[in-house]
Amino acid sequence: MITETDNIEIILPFKAEYVSVVRLTVSGIASRMGFDIDAIEDIKVAVSEVCNKLVALGSSVVPRYKIVFSISEESLDIHFYCEDKSIKCIFGDGNDELGVSLISALMDDVSLCPENDYIIYMSKAIEENI
Amino acid sequence: MSSELNIREEYTDNAVVVFLSGEVDIYNSQKLKERLYKIIDDNKKDLKIDCTELNYIDSTGLGIFVGALKKVKQYDKKIHICKLKENIKKLFVITGLDKLFIIEE
Repeated sequence: MITETDNIEIILPFKAEYVSVVRLTVSGIASRMGFDIDAIEDIKVAVSEVCNKLVALGSSVVPRYKIVFSISEESLDIHFYCEDKSIKCIFGDGNDELGVSLISALMDDVSLCPENDYIIYMSKAIEENI
Repeated sequence: MSSELNIREEYTDNAVVVFLSGEVDIYNSQKLKERLYKIIDDNKKDLKIDCTELNYIDSTGLGIFVGALKKVKQYDKKIHICKLKENIKKLFVITGLDKLFIIEE
């Protein structure tokens, strides 16, 4: 039973072969939370699109980025972090129209260019899936 | 459910049928691109992409379909995308690609 927000963190190298690991991880988390199969697929796609962009960008400063999954009774909140502060507003170049449209449509709340210490925020509410 | 991407093709008089199974993502999308482009250039026929066993695709994979469409149009041919699972068809609708391709059940 989830009584408060639990956080699960995953730290990944900027390598394409590990994006599938993120999908497996978030599938497990979302399944545990009770999201239905369609919502789990939505979350997998949205999270992967951000990972794809981060992998494509890479960093000359740090070898890895971090994803924090925050689990509550209401929602799954996902924050992406990187210690390379030059990596921000990663979809601002306008080159990822397909990816951005998928993320925006599949998640309930998205912040693609936040003025904060995280790079991307996205959230999926669980109420809709019960 | 396999996460590997497998690509197999069969030839008919008027088209090449490409069977995709597994997942298309940033890691293996180059493999799909090279295979599709070679099939198109070698055969210059309509392409039917059978997605019965395709479980996942991301925007890099969708982008490769778009690139393949541009390529077949050079030969005045078409791409039919067949038997999409609902979760993948949803991505075509969201991105508007369902209007670009011939989507078949």
